[in-house]
Amino acid sequence: MNFERQLWISGCLALALIPHLGALPFWVLVTIGASGGIRLLLAARGRDAPPRVLRLLLSALAIGLLFLHYRTFNGLAAGTALLSLVAGLKLLETQTRRDLFVTALIIYFLSLAALLATDSFWLLGYTMGVCWLTTATLLRSTRATVAPDWHQSLRYAARILAQALPLALVLWLLFPRFSAPLWPISNDGHRAGSGLSDAMSPGDISELALSDEVAFRVHFISTVPPPRERYWRGPVLSEFDGHTWRASDQALGGAPVLLTQGPAYRYTIGLEPHRHNWIYALDWPTRWDLPGGILTADYLLIQPGPVSHPINILLTSYGQSHAAGPLSQMLRRRDTELPLGRNPRTQRLSMELRRSHRDDLDYVRSVLDMFRQQAFFYTLSPPKLADNSVDEFLFDTKRGFCGHYASAFAALMRAAGIPARVVTGYQGGTFNRFADYWILRQSDAHAWDEIWIESQGWLRIDPTASIAPERVEHDLGDTVGADETLVSRWQHRTAWFADTRLRFDALEQLWRDRVLNFNQGSQEKLLGLLLIRAPDTQKLVLVLSACLSLVLCWLTWVVRRELKPRTRDELSRAFERLCTKLAAAGMPRSGHEGAEAYAARIAALRPDLAGAVTALCRHYTALRYGARNPRITVEKFNAAVRAWKAR
Amino acid sequence: MSRLAQIATVFFRSWSARRHGRDSLPITINRRRIYILPTRFGLTLAVTLFGMLLAALNYNSNLGLALVFLLASAALVAMHHCHRNLLGLSVDVNPEADTFAGAEARFDFTLSNESAVDRCDIEIRCAAGTQLASNVAPGTQQWVTLAMPVTRRGVIRLKQFELRSRYPFGWFRAWTYVQAELTAFVAPEPRGLRMPPCIVAGDGVALPESRGDEDFAGLRAYEPGIPLKHMAWKVLARGGEAVVRSYSSQSAQPEWLEWSSLDGMEKEARLSQMCRWVINTEAAHRRYGLRLPGIKIAPARGPAHCCACLRVLAQFESGTDR
Repeated sequence: MNFERQLWISGCLALALIPHLGALPFWVLVTIGASGGIRLLLAARGRDAPPRVLRLLLSALAIGLLFLHYRTFNGLAAGTALLSLVAGLKLLETQTRRDLFVTALIIYFLSLAALLATDSFWLLGYTMGVCWLTTATLLRSTRATVAPDWHQSLRYAARILAQALPLALVLWLLFPRFSAPLWPISNDGHRAGSGLSDAMSPGDISELALSDEVAFRVHFISTVPPPRERYWRGPVLSEFDGHTWRASDQALGGAPVLLTQGPAYRYTIGLEPHRHNWIYALDWPTRWDLPGGILTADYLLIQPGPVSHPINILLTSYGQSHAAGPLSQMLRRRDTELPLGRNPRTQRLSMELRRSHRDDLDYVRSVLDMFRQQAFFYTLSPPKLADNSVDEFLFDTKRGFCGHYASAFAALMRAAGIPARVVTGYQGGTFNRFADYWILRQSDAHAWDEIWIESQGWLRIDPTASIAPERVEHDLGDTVGADETLVSRWQHRTAWFADTRLRFDALEQLWRDRVLNFNQGSQEKLLGLLLIRAPDTQKLVLVLSACLSLVLCWLTWVVRRELKPRTRDELSRAFERLCTKLAAAGMPRSGHEGAEAYAARIAALRPDLAGAVTALCRHYTALRYGARNPRITVEKFNAAVRAWKAR
Repeated sequence: MSRLAQIATVFFRSWSARRHGRDSLPITINRRRIYILPTRFGLTLAVTLFGMLLAALNYNSNLGLALVFLLASAALVAMHHCHRNLLGLSVDVNPEADTFAGAEARFDFTLSNESAVDRCDIEIRCAAGTQLASNVAPGTQQWVTLAMPVTRRGVIRLKQFELRSRYPFGWFRAWTYVQAELTAFVAPEPRGLRMPPCIVAGDGVALPESRGDEDFAGLRAYEPGIPLKHMAWKVLARGGEAVVRSYSSQSAQPEWLEWSSLDGMEKEARLSQMCRWVINTEAAHRRYGLRLPGIKIAPARGPAHCCACLRVLAQFESGTDR
């Protein structure tokens, strides 16, 4: 018994730890495994736990080591590790029922910790399964005497959880959510996937191009912009050291006013978590419903903290824009600066071109023509570049992808005194026709340029698009700025695979929208469905209490109903109905009375009812005990009882 | 249990006694008399769940909240199940138990479960001790004997007993008090070697065994315990009822078990001796009466008479009403 209990609680703990395997230090796992194993061995031989002093020493040592490892017990990672360790050490001493309870509670908490670090539907199911097993184990271990067999315990625990579901659902839907955390969360960067960063060296984006991870999804409420306007703005890089482009920290400041033109695009963007604080928006964003969201001087939308969990944002952007005023001196200086003494050949080339093209736009055209006419190749596996990366690329290797072209183009612009910067972000996207939204994957990452033209403002130039199509090396199936990604290429070959993938993504999107991003706004919409005007937290709490009362009434009813012995067959119910009617007329049947005796008594008491009641009772007797071929069926008898009234 | 909890329990018990009044047995537990509170483990669970709620809210994790709410709701459901475990259960018990000092007073509880669910882990508790009924299956009864060791002669009265259950998870404790008085009559330990007074008197007429068969006095109904040699077989053979012949000497000359015949002995020893006489005389199917200072029981025979005599011996100047 003791061994079995031990085995089950250890098993539950092991299951609860599985989602944490990647995050826990190896030695913690070893410690937990060892203490569980030792205790099980001891229990199997019917021996007690190791002596108390030894256990205490071991605990102190392990927890001390853990502190040295993390330097804190705060935060999700350290907290989880601590809990796991404590649970593991608790296994070592599991003796009494109380120890078992404590372990069960830790398992519940570990399950929660696993959910805090994920968005997965499957993990939710998994942790609920673990909690179910733990609850069943608890059920068995609290039994004072010998416990019933396992499947019975599991069934009972499942029944309790099933009865808890409606209550949990009401609570989940209506429990007020906080818009801001109660205490600052130390971001462990646990959930952040890959993505763009605030610096770009040659080679950075090509790594992303092979990643299939979703960066964000977009649903257009208005019309969908044409492909040439689907540029999703990410970090703007304006500091160049000859090799790497970096975002400038001078960019913080208000965004210069833009005069927008063309149609407005309204859309919601569902952003997956990443390490940084920017939001990818379509050029040029003008309105957004993001608490604390501001636009930098480079028109990059940022929020106060990193995007640590999936968010949905409603945005409005305009495809075309004009600067309202001239470029500020500070920005002009910043965006024309080149490192001294680096990339000398590029500077010379720029001077030559500039001599023949005085006009800025002419100059731009000549540079793009150079890319188009000379033997520049687009490839995802370009040769490595050293310090003077632009020189090497333009004159020696002539092979690169969007990052190389954007970098070289911006350098050439700056050399000619035209303010220019590199913009990284995403471009294109895949349309999911099953659910009307666009998927932007990491493989859609892109880099382009913006140059300042007097009287027009910032102009977007995508030098990669100038490469002649025949010079795109398709061996890796890479993009030329358009919608063609590695995956989409494959998708052309296997349409059913692409469809399945999109359908799954549509499901994921639904899960993300309805469950992961369920928030205050969704709750207000829910109240709106209940025809409640001006929903606020107070009304929410009122509705919650009302719904809770209803569900609790239901629960009471369900739990009590199980007490009632299973209703007997239809015949008994029909006869009971007849007795109830007679009882209401003041003549209840006594326990010892058979149907015929009852009928006889009623005939004596109420001669007016005698005929009908005697007939009914006789039918009942016939149906119940008697004749092989009764003259009446159960259904007819039931109907007759229903129709009969004791006037 | 801490001192404070003890005081609270005493208060609560007397309050519930005033609230419900006397109960008649058998009793079916209704919802008005079931009390329920979380156990220490339940409170720990509540604190843990609260911590989990805060964490989930802080991390703004809808999945975490789903898990927390599911577990909290499961706890609430468990509360209903715990309450239900007692609801509608019928209890019966013999309110009076007879025993001898040095033996056990046995109260036989019958738990009847007329419902469709199992009743698990129901503890029966009273001042005399605790006993557990592990599982009363649907539509069945379970007998649970609460045996209370008694050392001294006297009458023990238990004002109430309690049914308690922590099923299913030990998160909650539901209990109910039944205000039915359980009385244990503890007769003195049968002891002593003296003969009953009629023999000691020694008038030489006859020994008790030989006396009964003398004068035929008529027929009376058979009752278990009467020697078969007194059976009126002829009446039975004619198709009549089972009757026995009775003899005048039996009714005419009862034995008197006298307190006064044991002069010079200590009180408890006297009572023990009289107890021994009662048992012996009853076993010998003779009629006997009992005479103590201020108490007189008319001569008769049979289990009821014997029991009445023993109870008199138990109560006689006992002063131990617990």
